[in-house]
Amino acid sequence: MLMSSETKTLFMEILHDLCEINGTSGREEKVREYILDRIGDKASCTVNPLGCVIAEYKAKPADRKLMISAHMDEVGFIITYINDDGTLSFDCVGGVSPDACAGRQVTVDGNPSVRDTDKCCPVGTSDKALDVESDRAADRYVSSNVSTKSLRPVGNDEKAQNGESDRAADRYVSSNVSAKPLRPVGGGIGTRPIHNLSADERKTPVRFRDLYIDIGAKDREEAERYVSIGDSAYFLTGWNVSRDGYIRSKAIDDRIGCAVMLTMIIMGLPEYDTTFTFVTQEEVGLRGSRTAAFTVQPDMAIVIEATTAADIPLSEGAQRCCELGKGAVVSYMDRSTLYDRQMYDLSRRIAAEKGIGWQTKTVVAGGNDSGAIHISGKGVRTMAISVPCRYLHTPSSVAYGKDMFDVFDLVCEMERALREEI
Amino acid sequence: MDITKFKELTARLADAKGVSGSEDGIAHMCAELMSRYTDRVEIVNGNVYAHFGERRDKPHVLLDAHLDKVGLICTDVRDDGFISADMVGGIDLRSMPAQPVIIHGREDICGVICTLPPHLKTSDEVMTKDQLYIDTGLSPESAKALISRGDPISYEAECRELIGDRLCGAALDDRCGISTVIQAIDELHYTDDMPYTLTVMFSTQEEIGERGACIGAFTVDPDICIEVDVSFALAQGEDRKKCGTLGGGCMIGVSPTLDKALSDGFIAFAKENDIPFDIEVMSGTTGTNADRFTVSRGGARAVTLSVPLRNMHLPCEVIDANDCMTTAKLITAFLRGDVKC
Repeated sequence: MLMSSETKTLFMEILHDLCEINGTSGREEKVREYILDRIGDKASCTVNPLGCVIAEYKAKPADRKLMISAHMDEVGFIITYINDDGTLSFDCVGGVSPDACAGRQVTVDGNPSVRDTDKCCPVGTSDKALDVESDRAADRYVSSNVSTKSLRPVGNDEKAQNGESDRAADRYVSSNVSAKPLRPVGGGIGTRPIHNLSADERKTPVRFRDLYIDIGAKDREEAERYVSIGDSAYFLTGWNVSRDGYIRSKAIDDRIGCAVMLTMIIMGLPEYDTTFTFVTQEEVGLRGSRTAAFTVQPDMAIVIEATTAADIPLSEGAQRCCELGKGAVVSYMDRSTLYDRQMYDLSRRIAAEKGIGWQTKTVVAGGNDSGAIHISGKGVRTMAISVPCRYLHTPSSVAYGKDMFDVFDLVCEMERALREEI
Repeated sequence: MDITKFKELTARLADAKGVSGSEDGIAHMCAELMSRYTDRVEIVNGNVYAHFGERRDKPHVLLDAHLDKVGLICTDVRDDGFISADMVGGIDLRSMPAQPVIIHGREDICGVICTLPPHLKTSDEVMTKDQLYIDTGLSPESAKALISRGDPISYEAECRELIGDRLCGAALDDRCGISTVIQAIDELHYTDDMPYTLTVMFSTQEEIGERGACIGAFTVDPDICIEVDVSFALAQGEDRKKCGTLGGGCMIGVSPTLDKALSDGFIAFAKENDIPFDIEVMSGTTGTNADRFTVSRGGARAVTLSVPLRNMHLPCEVIDANDCMTTAKLITAFLRGDVKC
């Protein structure tokens, strides 16, 4: 049975939530929190030492153990140095091209596990104190005759992240704990302006060492009150859905995979016992999935991913890799994996039978968690089902809603077929 | 205005549309803001003029900031639904891949500038303007219905507060100049006893060759011009001697093409009154509207007062609002006759 409209609505809601949450490799806490919260008691969950969520979903018992996996982390940045002038040097976490960074606005976010200042508040007062104070802070930005939309402090989706709450938080922080503010701070990725570049420099792509994050601090000392070396930073791009159903957002890679799995669990769709793994650190070398696969020891695995589509005016023919609107992408080979041929063929047949959009890639490139999973333990028969996605690893990746539904339907069909037809 | 109100106004102006040649919206917004201070506000050939005082026996001062911002323009709606675009003003193509934009078509449409995935890039070169394509996520039919050749395109970036009184936004060049002028007029409370007749102008098309200034100076025929624009603030990789300092106050221009007595007057006043400032030395023309004012008709005396700004023409320009406030103070003092020149 293909996706109902109720399922589609739930899926899109979850995908939107997940894309807006920040969580780069090694900093997946907030994504994990959301996932555990949404799963509730619909599956039995454990979290492994690398932070992967392993969710055992119970349905009909099956002879062979199936693991369905997607990664929680997204590409982002890590602060490497605080300069004398208060700006921050940084590097990318995962493969981000520096030319997609210059001039972008970002948020700089501490490590929540270190900066959990709530715990420092006197019991019973923390929430209220912060709320009251932030309401006042919110008032500050409201003036009678001027629209205030534009002046939201960065990252201020919730009142508790408002400017004034820094001070509220500071007040309750006990002396032996870092007194850094709770909220993420905003910034811009700066570089030398075009006016001051030589003709040669204008033709030379930017490098990370030419870029810095400006959070508005006057000097290093002020910056250090807000940011520490090792903190993460994220693109700040709004979620947008075009009238024709194309989605533009950061982090579609791989929150799409997480959203497919969460929706399957919440809607109770798997027909047989299935282990879902929401893994960490894919973008820095398929690290979480390696540990999850070792722990689960599956017979077969489906990896759900977002994969590069280059169906844009700058490329032609095979170089387009795959195309938006043509459905789920099932790979035969990439730089990390030669996929199980029988599973590949089965997916193609089932897609044709059920009327699910199916395509493969026209370039052997890239890689995903399959690379770690298929050679885990005694070996795991593995396939990857991906949504085609333009501008992967940039602040504004673009994917098509219908392709996502095709991925969802194909994963659901394969969950059953892998037990019954292989 | 206090600095909180000032920042709100600046952000609101910075977020308004108005790529060069499409300044109607921002012009009307500025005209409305100026109508709080004088009844004599008009928009002529795109420029906004607000007149204070009518006496002809006093020197006539033109106080200007420009309305427009850099951006892109739609050159074609392709059959595959993608948009071809060209640059309006000084765009840094190094920063364009995957840049989010808004196309101002029949409605505002979000888009992103196309870029090839890294493994398909054949060379290590910066994209050329012929490779500027925009992905709107629209079907070819929708794209053709909503977007036409000539539609202006802005960066998609909201003006946001950073730490302290600093702001980060896409068009602070020169919307913070406009808010600075408004701040100066707000504090001035113009009366006919003041030593100058004043015209405030917000001009079009600075970014593509100071064209609004060209016709504005001819129309107003001023004796003295004060140009409020932005200039380079010191940042990583920049040359200290060519830059002001964020938070270091107004950059007072000194140049062979500017009036030395005016520059000296502002410098002396700032020193005497402990107003922070920097001297911005330019060895020839200034790259601002002042270049037009000084040689319009029979010529005029001019000075530039610039707000230091980082990341010029990128979607994350950064200013310190305190620099605008001190610049406004200098302007108010001048118009009251406190600056000797």
